Amino acid sequence: MKNLLMLFILITGTINLHSQKLKVCPDCPYTSIKEAIKLSSPYDTIIVKSGVYKEGNITIEKPLYIIGEDYPVIDGESEFEIFTIKSDSVTLQGLKLINVGVSYTKDLAAINIINSDFVNIKGNILENSFFGVYYQKSSYGTIEGNVIKGNAVKEISSGNAIHLWHCDNMQIIHNQVKNHRDGIYLEFVDSSRIVNNISEGNLRYGLHFMFSNWDDYISNVLRDNGAGVAVMFSKFIIMEDNLFEKNWGTTSYGLLLKEIYDAEIINNKFYKNTIGIYGESATRIKISNNEFHQNGWALKILGSCMDNEVVSNNFIGNTFDVTTNSSRNYNIYQGNYWDEYTGYDLNKDGYGDVPYRPVSLFSHVITKSESSIILLRSLFVDLLNYAEKVTPVFTPESLKDESPKMKPIQ
Amino acid sequence: MKYPINLSIFILIFLFSCTPKPQPINYGEDGCHYCKMTIVDSRYAAEAVTSKSKVYKFDAVECLLNFINENGDTEFSLKLISPFDSEGLTSAESCVYLRTPELPSPMGEYLNGLSDHEFAEELQEKHGGEIYTWNELLKKFGSLPEMNIN
Repeated sequence: MKNLLMLFILITGTINLHSQKLKVCPDCPYTSIKEAIKLSSPYDTIIVKSGVYKEGNITIEKPLYIIGEDYPVIDGESEFEIFTIKSDSVTLQGLKLINVGVSYTKDLAAINIINSDFVNIKGNILENSFFGVYYQKSSYGTIEGNVIKGNAVKEISSGNAIHLWHCDNMQIIHNQVKNHRDGIYLEFVDSSRIVNNISEGNLRYGLHFMFSNWDDYISNVLRDNGAGVAVMFSKFIIMEDNLFEKNWGTTSYGLLLKEIYDAEIINNKFYKNTIGIYGESATRIKISNNEFHQNGWALKILGSCMDNEVVSNNFIGNTFDVTTNSSRNYNIYQGNYWDEYTGYDLNKDGYGDVPYRPVSLFSHVITKSESSIILLRSLFVDLLNYAEKVTPVFTPESLKDESPKMKPIQ
Repeated sequence: MKYPINLSIFILIFLFSCTPKPQPINYGEDGCHYCKMTIVDSRYAAEAVTSKSKVYKFDAVECLLNFINENGDTEFSLKLISPFDSEGLTSAESCVYLRTPELPSPMGEYLNGLSDHEFAEELQEKHGGEIYTWNELLKKFGSLPEMNIN
């Protein structure tokens, strides 16, 4: 026991001996961050006290903890990339980074991480940055609790708030990202988790996957973006407990799926989106226990989508529940609640006794000719839909829910 | 006397409206016809206009190439790209294309269209990679070598 204690003292002692704290402020031993970094040893802590620092591009090439006190402002003067990290095990915390430069050929970022593992970016505020946090070819990084605000409302040459390129095993947790091109963009990123983030007001997508596999995104809020989430050319993505809200506009979607395989879309809420879920060449996707509320189209599933299951979802107050562009259907619809279902339940098992056909003839007409939407909510259309319901001719014959729920699923 | 002038104006308008014309791209609003992504970056956008004046807009050169390849029987009067180095749309045939792992493009093919051939060579010196003409690209697309990211 005594030996163990000795060993403990020895270890903590040696750590204390080797790692030191360097303070940076106008009347501290170090007056600039660059100087402190230069004179530090690996695994030292640099404490940056409040103030404004204009030091151009700061490069970090050894493991360090850089911690801000009362959010010191580090200004890129609209000319520089602020931090360039080229070392494993670097932590940046409690800093306020503003005014990153904009370049045409280089993606300048407030924090650029190149080829470095275990880099943590925590609790920082980023404002007016071209790209916010940009990881390239890195693994095991954590981006947690940052507030990243751009000015991409009209500015087209804007970057993404969090941008990951060729990374794996990353965690993106509890960040707020706003007014960038994409809130969170993952290109060639595998085995990563995106949890509890709020992404709103972005020009293109709240969250965007390209060529990424085995990722989860859970409990995120995606509001007022060009489109909430786009998942493209990716496999094995799990999407759970997210809120897709008010993604309105002519090319807007709550969730855009293109060329994706083996995904799960569970327990999400789609509220007031132009199109809740748009699927093109999406295969083996499980869509269950979601709520589709007041969307223009709840689901737009093109003919190229196969072997998908739409099970136990609530469809309430959508202008159109399901549309497709094909007269064939290779997907399963079962046990959903459809508020426009007018059938009956004589055996009282909770399921309607006649199948529900979610594709109305009129929605089919609209996919062929958009301007016919002017007839929406006219008596003519009601008659048309009724006639088609009785004897389906144009809508996919097999696209029906054989056991629609009589009451919304809790 | 007035009548022939009116007629000629009418004919002019008629002829003019029949010539396939490019349409400006509304960045941040228009969607890519091929991949459905919103077009946001003027360094990569592209457009195709058919002989019947139908306009298709794309967010990347690779989407334009894919679309042309998939619609072999459609006649395109205009194939335009928005080059990396200048504003607005330019004929795709008049540009060269630099493909280098250091300059990724929106759809993962690393294609950067450049209107200034000298600037393309300058960029190639700096960033490496291969330069293709439009016709080479059209021929080789689909069998371009994998990009080696290290």
